[in-house]
Amino acid sequence: MIGNDIVDLQLASYQSNWQRKGWLQKIFTTKEQRHIHTSENPNLMVWKLWSMKEATYKVHQNYLSHAPRYSPLDFDCSLHGKVYIHNHTYCVKTETTKEYVHSVAMQYDDNYDSKIMQNDKDLKLRLKQTLAQKIDVNISNIMVKKDKNRIPRIYIDRKETNIGVSLTHHGEYSAFVIEY
Amino acid sequence: MNNEELLSKLKTIISPYVQKQEGLNNLSEDTDFIKDLEINSANLVDVVLDVEDEFDIEIDNDSMEKMLTVKASIAVIEEKLAAK
Repeated sequence: MIGNDIVDLQLASYQSNWQRKGWLQKIFTTKEQRHIHTSENPNLMVWKLWSMKEATYKVHQNYLSHAPRYSPLDFDCSLHGKVYIHNHTYCVKTETTKEYVHSVAMQYDDNYDSKIMQNDKDLKLRLKQTLAQKIDVNISNIMVKKDKNRIPRIYIDRKETNIGVSLTHHGEYSAFVIEY
Repeated sequence: MNNEELLSKLKTIISPYVQKQEGLNNLSEDTDFIKDLEINSANLVDVVLDVEDEFDIEIDNDSMEKMLTVKASIAVIEEKLAAK
């Protein structure tokens, strides 16, 4: 199982004022708030930790198959690529550029394919193209469908598979990950 | 405050964060903030903070967790108002 999250930094600075009173406290643990305040680039740290939480939420929700929930505070991020939620631990890799922050979360440190795109309108199609090539299946036989908890599932020849995928989009950027 | 007044106040609060206008026009108790209104998940915390300010209540983590739909948000607001 895999989850990913992308933050378009330009859009984030326009959409969210994380300096608003109470904002950080609702989302970040006191330890995380300390990381933010002592960081050389607090803004980047906010979005890095946020994307780690979001990516982990996606795997965790998938793992427990629970209905959507909004509890970012429960996801406790370390700066060494681990996120803890209740008694579960997830491995998270984060890539940061001037334009975006992208996090990938998994249960184990496993192999995966990741693709980040700018101004691409058809994320699902790109995912199917990559998958078709990788597992040598005709693209028309692949279907991506969200389940009742809005987790994307891959169907091949109308049969559900256990291929783990995750899609994310924010502003100009979108990304997907595939776990093998 | 009756349900209708609550719904109308909530609608005013969420409006600036809505990215899918059509969802706002058809707002009902069943409206889902992310699915139907495409509110960015980082803005959900702004909704929670605005609700706290508007109703002068405090929303703890356990209640915030549920605030993904109109119905659940109204239930949380009513519960906090009753406890005041």
